[in-house]
Amino acid sequence: MSAIASEYLPVLLFFAVGIAFALIFVSAPIAVSALTGTAKPEAVKLSEYESGFPAFSDARAKFDVQFYLVAILFIVFDLEAAFLFPWAVSLHWGGESAWWAMMEFLGELAIGLVYAWKVGALEWE
Amino acid sequence: MHPIFASIAIAGPETILTLGSLAALMLGTFTPKHRALVVTSLFAVAILGVAGFSLTDAPAGRSIAFDGLYVADDFSAYLKVIIMAAAAASVLLALPWLQERGAGRFEYPVLMLLAALGMAMMVSANDLLTLYVGLELAALPSYVLAAFSRADDRSAEAGLKYFVLGALASGMLLYGVTLVYGFAGSTQLDVIAQLVSAQAERSIGMLFGIVFILAGLAFKVSAVPFHMWTPDVYEGAPTPVAAFFSAAPKAAALGLMARVLVVAFPGKVAADWQQIIMFIAIASMVLGAVAAVAQTNVKRLLAYSSIANIGFALVGLSPGSPAGISALLFYVTVYVAMTLGSFLVVLQLRRPDGGTVETMADLAGLSKTQPKLALALAIFMFSLAGIPPLLGFWPKFAVFQAAIASGLLGLAIIGFIASVVAAFYYLRLIKIMYFDEPAVALASEGSPVNGALIAACALFCSPLGMLAMSPLAVATARAAAALFPA
Repeated sequence: MSAIASEYLPVLLFFAVGIAFALIFVSAPIAVSALTGTAKPEAVKLSEYESGFPAFSDARAKFDVQFYLVAILFIVFDLEAAFLFPWAVSLHWGGESAWWAMMEFLGELAIGLVYAWKVGALEWE
Repeated sequence: MHPIFASIAIAGPETILTLGSLAALMLGTFTPKHRALVVTSLFAVAILGVAGFSLTDAPAGRSIAFDGLYVADDFSAYLKVIIMAAAAASVLLALPWLQERGAGRFEYPVLMLLAALGMAMMVSANDLLTLYVGLELAALPSYVLAAFSRADDRSAEAGLKYFVLGALASGMLLYGVTLVYGFAGSTQLDVIAQLVSAQAERSIGMLFGIVFILAGLAFKVSAVPFHMWTPDVYEGAPTPVAAFFSAAPKAAALGLMARVLVVAFPGKVAADWQQIIMFIAIASMVLGAVAAVAQTNVKRLLAYSSIANIGFALVGLSPGSPAGISALLFYVTVYVAMTLGSFLVVLQLRRPDGGTVETMADLAGLSKTQPKLALALAIFMFSLAGIPPLLGFWPKFAVFQAAIASGLLGLAIIGFIASVVAAFYYLRLIKIMYFDEPAVALASEGSPVNGALIAACALFCSPLGMLAMSPLAVATARAAAALFPA
């Protein structure tokens, strides 16, 4: 590598990364919409594969937003459990700091649950 | 006392914000619905005030907490004061807007507190991982805030766009962190500095790491070439949220950038990142100035103005010298007041049909219908353009002076030219307000708190603000010195 190229290497790298990601930012949405959009619908393309049966109804059926809320709350408490298991077996090494860090986390989670409960995220109707 | 409690005491402002945000959430939940928003907002402002005030009580010098993950010094204290003030102003200025849309949305001030906590963590990060956690903690509430008017399609779009691009930028930043960790052997900033200075020759892997970290941070400060989200998000997000985005997060991210680059990559490596920062600065100044000329939407105009201003602030970072960092901090301080003021005026104006001002044509003849607000907006525009007697001139002067003192004359000249081009659209807005015939009779929404905030920002940006310059110069010099160990 010549001296002058080496001197300007950082900014060249930055150019390359900048251009690459700018292309991703711009082209990815276009590509996704081109690929997912129904550009040329025709009967054969839209039909089920050969051993399938005709659909009973539209796949894009509306369903209750409550399912999402339950899913989100489930993930929160699922992750809590995922944290608690390794914490519990390594508490011996983590000592008092680890104990208080987890208590703080559980406290925050409890407050989050109180909020979700009170604003009615857990009620189905 | 267990060491973790000593660490918690050093991280006093963050502790107050953490407990305060949790308390605010409970307060909003258990207050009757018609009062929840006002009570929670005032509580949030009080918490931000206490957190800001606790900084005056901190021990002088540099304190390290949490095994070197966190540092409290003059640099972080200075930026935290700006962040707390800007966040408190953002909570207050949103209050009338939120009340118009139903009193129950008390989550707004809580999200603001959490974002302020993340930003305080960012400027106190002494480790690449604390940096990342702080950045995410500031970003996640921002995504929610951008989509805060759920019923408005444009707000939802702004939130989604911000989230997707922000997640990508975080990914790039993390990739850079892993490379730096791999090639240096530590994630702690001062340890990286020692290890890097011990290396005999430039490591390409490390360079890639710096490039990716800078790309991620450039996204957060909306610097070219990672600025493309800014106009769309500012336009789509509710106006008070756009005001918030343009102020506190920019200060926090610029402070973070300065600390990472100056502390972790000094000496030989500094020349590497300086090229990149210079490129970002020039590109942001030029694009911000040129692209804004064609804008007709006020919020998009302010978005491009914020891109250009980030470029000017980065001119202060380019030399990597104490004088440059001091100028950067001064620039950020004045910029926050100017941009908050401009957004406040836009927020205060109402069209006859009750809608907010969107296009520049709406502002025609504002000097006749709303002379006081027109005067305030004129002060902010003159100040943003950097016309001498107004305060906005001095930080531009300071950053260019710092650049020239370090021999970066070319950078300063490009900056001058960009600021002349940028003056065109600021002055055009003033021309529209003062010399065009009124198109629609704009009403002032009339909140006294916002009026007082506008007056305070306008006074600070007016020539009277020069009275604040000498204390600011002392404070910024002390803050900048904290990054350069003697």
